[in-house]
Amino acid sequence: MTQIVDARGLPCPQPVIMTRHALRESDKVTTIVDNETTRHNVTRMAERAGCVVRAEEKEDGIYLHITKGEIPQEGVAPQPAAAPVGGLLVLLVPSEFMGRGEHTELGRILIRGFFHTLGEVEPLPNTVIFFNSGVKLVVEGSPVVEDLQTLHDRGVEILACGTCLGYYDLKEKAAVGEVSNMYTIAETMLRAGKVISL
Amino acid sequence: MTGSQHAVILVYSTSHALRAERLLQQAGIGSKLIPVPRHVRSDCGVCVRIERADQEAALQALEAAGVEIEGVHRI
Repeated sequence: MTQIVDARGLPCPQPVIMTRHALRESDKVTTIVDNETTRHNVTRMAERAGCVVRAEEKEDGIYLHITKGEIPQEGVAPQPAAAPVGGLLVLLVPSEFMGRGEHTELGRILIRGFFHTLGEVEPLPNTVIFFNSGVKLVVEGSPVVEDLQTLHDRGVEILACGTCLGYYDLKEKAAVGEVSNMYTIAETMLRAGKVISL
Repeated sequence: MTGSQHAVILVYSTSHALRAERLLQQAGIGSKLIPVPRHVRSDCGVCVRIERADQEAALQALEAAGVEIEGVHRI
């Protein structure tokens, strides 16, 4: 039974919250929106939650048909636990350096170059996960924190492992993104369509 | 890049680029170490991006410190 969420005329963040609640109760939700920003925000939230979103533009609004899991193909039974079609793009940053050479200076130059370049090439990752010494990059004063802020403003989810921040005693200093945990990090990696590790 | 008011200073090595960045910072000139844009050069390298308005001052600061410049390009 598809749940309908009529979000027309509602200010942010209500449409996103209402849709999220509806998805807890039903595997199929149709959210009706009336502007591009809300459409984008609801779509992004649903896709990050592992749903597939199909938009239908009608005269009286934009109907976002949201389904949990992947699109059932015509005539083919849906596969349980298969990755969503297309799927989320997740980037792992397991170190403050890019690559494994012994010269940290080069690794630092590369990671700075990489995060600058992410602002100029496509596609953007849906989520970037920082762990181990990689968490040093989300801390105030890191050489990439401004680029991360830009990415965050463009809708990229930034997650930093709380255990790692705690280990380096940097929990109070995280300047961008959310402090996350192993459950969310593991789930995000497992549900992704593509996972890239630096 | 629409709306960009930047130029990039190309140097001869990554360590020169790091040195240039430090010198510009000491001179109070804003800069960012970035990969050389593809339309400027296709083989990988890093360069120093600055505001076009700072070009004169930046080149002077680097020349005074003896950092060899390969070129400057508007981006």
